[in-house]
Amino acid sequence: MNAASLPLLQNALTVGAILFSLGLVGILTRRNLIVMFLAAEMMLQGISVSLVAWSRYHGDFGGHVLVIFVLTVAACEAAVALVFVLQAFSRTGRLDAAAWQSLREATVGRTIDRELPAVDTVPPRFPTLTPAGVQPATDADDALEREHV
Amino acid sequence: MNPVPLASGGLLAGAIVATAASLWMLLPNGREFQSTRRLGLLLGAAAMLAFVAAGRRLGGLGEEAVFLLVSLVAVVSAAATIVSRSPVYAAIWFALSLTGVAGVLLVLGAQFLGVATIVVYAGAILVMFLFVLMLAQPAGLAPYDRVSNEPFLAALAGAVLLGVLSLSIGRLSAGVPACCAPPARAAAAGAATDAPTAAGTTPAAAADLAAGPPAAVAADPLSDNQVARLGAELFGRHLVAVEAAGVLLLVALIGAIAIVSRGEAALAAEADAVRAADRRTSR
Repeated sequence: MNAASLPLLQNALTVGAILFSLGLVGILTRRNLIVMFLAAEMMLQGISVSLVAWSRYHGDFGGHVLVIFVLTVAACEAAVALVFVLQAFSRTGRLDAAAWQSLREATVGRTIDRELPAVDTVPPRFPTLTPAGVQPATDADDALEREHV
Repeated sequence: MNPVPLASGGLLAGAIVATAASLWMLLPNGREFQSTRRLGLLLGAAAMLAFVAAGRRLGGLGEEAVFLLVSLVAVVSAAATIVSRSPVYAAIWFALSLTGVAGVLLVLGAQFLGVATIVVYAGAILVMFLFVLMLAQPAGLAPYDRVSNEPFLAALAGAVLLGVLSLSIGRLSAGVPACCAPPARAAAAGAATDAPTAAGTTPAAAADLAAGPPAAVAADPLSDNQVARLGAELFGRHLVAVEAAGVLLLVALIGAIAIVSRGEAALAAEADAVRAADRRTSR
């Protein structure tokens, strides 16, 4: 409640506002369902930062308690939403929001995927470990049965 | 009520515009690794610098070097989350952003919430996201991960929102409005909340509250016993809400299981129908 903590409040509120705006952009523009949920969680993070900043400014625990409930609701939301995402994926085989565009408003145009240039297929270079010890003997029959090992 | 100085206001506006432009350039648009993205990265870095400079002018962001560091981590990795092509990278950037947010919460004196954010979000929710990604992600970059819906309009909407919010944040002043002057507010709140808690809780809890009401003691949230006082506040004034949150968790758990089992039954029925139709046509 003192003037000295006003700059900290303003800065923290700005951080919260940036997080909320980034989450808004993400949820508006991304098409992957899981990235959309990440963006929604990011908006919740922005809200949490703002609530805690106000709580610090006013010197009581109201904001902290609200953030605990935000955490609870976020956990519930993630559980239910990820089930929906999995169901949507098993129906369409895609994590694409546009796979469900038959649910859109009648006045909204259809999303048409344009032709994309091919991704350059240069394999990524991962760091390699230096070999250590003796290479164990492999059983040919065993390798046939366990092809992923 | 002193207005934002013109120079820092202009700096802030420039930072917001640069943020939006760099987001627009960085968002997936079908191209891969072209000069637009490098320009977007440069613009984003310039925007961060401008934000830091504007914050320093607006209210001494430079004093809190730790706050500056953790908030930069939070914001930059949040931006990287929404512009990442690969959803797995997006999830990992989000984990880093959560770490930054937890740091901000710690700087703000919320020790319990900082740790709880790491444990609950990065430890549980994010791992659940990654599980679903592993279950559902096709190999390689999907076409829908390489394009976005209306990136220009979305970045514009974000910039407008951020501009309005930072304008109102910059206009905050230390003066307390007449509606909620501190002594009157505290007295009213104490009178309003003490009665129901005293009536609704056990005598011992009521005595505890009367001896040291958390809201009155918590003049400095950074002081000792913060978690204990937060618990007293949570299970004193907000006991009914805690019960409701427990019910909500239970309902979400049961609902998730119910949706999975019903969805699997519906999928099996669809598959049966398709197989029956195949048999009919093959005869």
